[in-house]
Amino acid sequence: MGEINTNIYATQPTAFTLFLRTFLPWQLWRFFSINLRMMLLIGREKHLHK
Amino acid sequence: MSRVVVLGAGIAGHTAASYLSSWLSRSHEVVVVSPQSTYNWVPSNIWLGLGLMSEQQVTFPLAPVYGKAGIRFEQARAVAIHPEGSAANARPYVMVEKSLAGQPAETVPIEYDYLINATGPRLNFAATEGLGPGKHSLSVCTPSHAIEAAGHFLTLIERMKKGDHCRFVIGTGHGMCTCQGAAFEYVVNLEFELRHHGVRDKAEVIFFTNEYELGDFGMDGAFIRRNGYITPTNIFTESVLAEREIWSVTRAHARKIESGRIFYENLAGEEHDLAFDMAMLLPPFAGVGLQAFDRAGEDITSKMFAPNGFMKVDADYTQKPYEQWKAADWPRTYQSPAYSNIFAAGIAFAPPHPISRPHTNPKGTPIFATAPRTGMPSATMGRVVARSIADRIEGKDAPLHAASMAELGAACVASSGSSLLKGTAASMTVFPIVPDYDRYPKYGRDLKYTSGEIGLAGHWIKLILHYMFLYKARLRPGWRLIPE
Repeated sequence: MGEINTNIYATQPTAFTLFLRTFLPWQLWRFFSINLRMMLLIGREKHLHK
Repeated sequence: MSRVVVLGAGIAGHTAASYLSSWLSRSHEVVVVSPQSTYNWVPSNIWLGLGLMSEQQVTFPLAPVYGKAGIRFEQARAVAIHPEGSAANARPYVMVEKSLAGQPAETVPIEYDYLINATGPRLNFAATEGLGPGKHSLSVCTPSHAIEAAGHFLTLIERMKKGDHCRFVIGTGHGMCTCQGAAFEYVVNLEFELRHHGVRDKAEVIFFTNEYELGDFGMDGAFIRRNGYITPTNIFTESVLAEREIWSVTRAHARKIESGRIFYENLAGEEHDLAFDMAMLLPPFAGVGLQAFDRAGEDITSKMFAPNGFMKVDADYTQKPYEQWKAADWPRTYQSPAYSNIFAAGIAFAPPHPISRPHTNPKGTPIFATAPRTGMPSATMGRVVARSIADRIEGKDAPLHAASMAELGAACVASSGSSLLKGTAASMTVFPIVPDYDRYPKYGRDLKYTSGEIGLAGHWIKLILHYMFLYKARLRPGWRLIPE
């Protein structure tokens, strides 16, 4: 493969981590959490650039 | 009565024009000049490029929207700026080339009181021999490019279903590209679709990039809070690719693309080639090639534009090594230092230097990721420049509004598989976009606002943002309530 890197030593998710990625109750919580984080980021910018 | 001319109807230009028309009374005029008749929500070209959306889902005609908003729309290409007017008339103007069907192109002047250069980039496919649609590789930069890429992808799906093995090479088509995030998004979505079509075992997928390390994304990488660790995006990105068995080639400059083969050199100066069945390689960006002339007709392009064609603004363009780069080098108001009534927003402004550390190989070939200007900061710049201009038109004695990329954060949601119940996306926030080691000595960024995770929630957010930003761009009721 030469130049091509297979990244075989990269961090890999466990089966539980993979499960959580599409587990609806957990993802519903993450949906609100990510949105909150983004709104805090936007709010911070509005404060800086009023 | 004042006239504001906005060159470009992309994210920055359309945002600026929309806010100007809503803030200013109809006694003032807002003019948008764009060669495209439609608005394109570029982030969703990734899905268009895999056949997951139609062109109608990522574009809409501009004229009706501008008509309702009282914005004059000129479908034309700007070619030259005359910021001092002419010998006969001191009012500044921009020359635009209009081309109506069946008629020869004509170049006409449009006078302005304020000018916003938001032309976006020239897709510089010519920088690499054989790169680009119509030659030997594909792109998702425009709707037509993305549709062609989707067609090619689906053709290969059918071949693989019949037993063929195919290699997909996705990434950057030159050593000084930006937009690695978009290429990354395309490669992980492509891999997801290969699994969805049941042909993943017949496909080899390679991410081909000019980044020094995966996860650079043109912003020198980042450290993110994740699961109790502060993790470099290099590890995060390697993990995402390894999990999906997407191999990678980094530190690569594509020199030439032939049918089915990429010829490239790397940072060690070695030359290699890589065969492919499908190559989606993004081009490097350059300015659109606007010229500028003074009142006497003398060429002053180099006074207003950097050699790469992007417009100089209030940045520190002093040449200095990476170790001396500062957050303060980056522009805040996007005002031209040469003419106070001219601004450049979005990709059109000239960055002072890259964000990522530059590298050059022993042959003298620069190979490193250049600075991204993604949707969120571009739209913010458009709004902030519009506010500065509106204040001046309204006679307010107020400082120019600021939106430095060293003071702005970005929220990026990179889809990694489109499905309402099985899809995922990588949701990242970064603050600030340009690292500021004076304020944040250890990591350059505020870790309270710099994080990332992958999950189905990200896909829902990406989809909602698609519909929400198109709603906003169509200037539907309440559009101003939606933040950039």
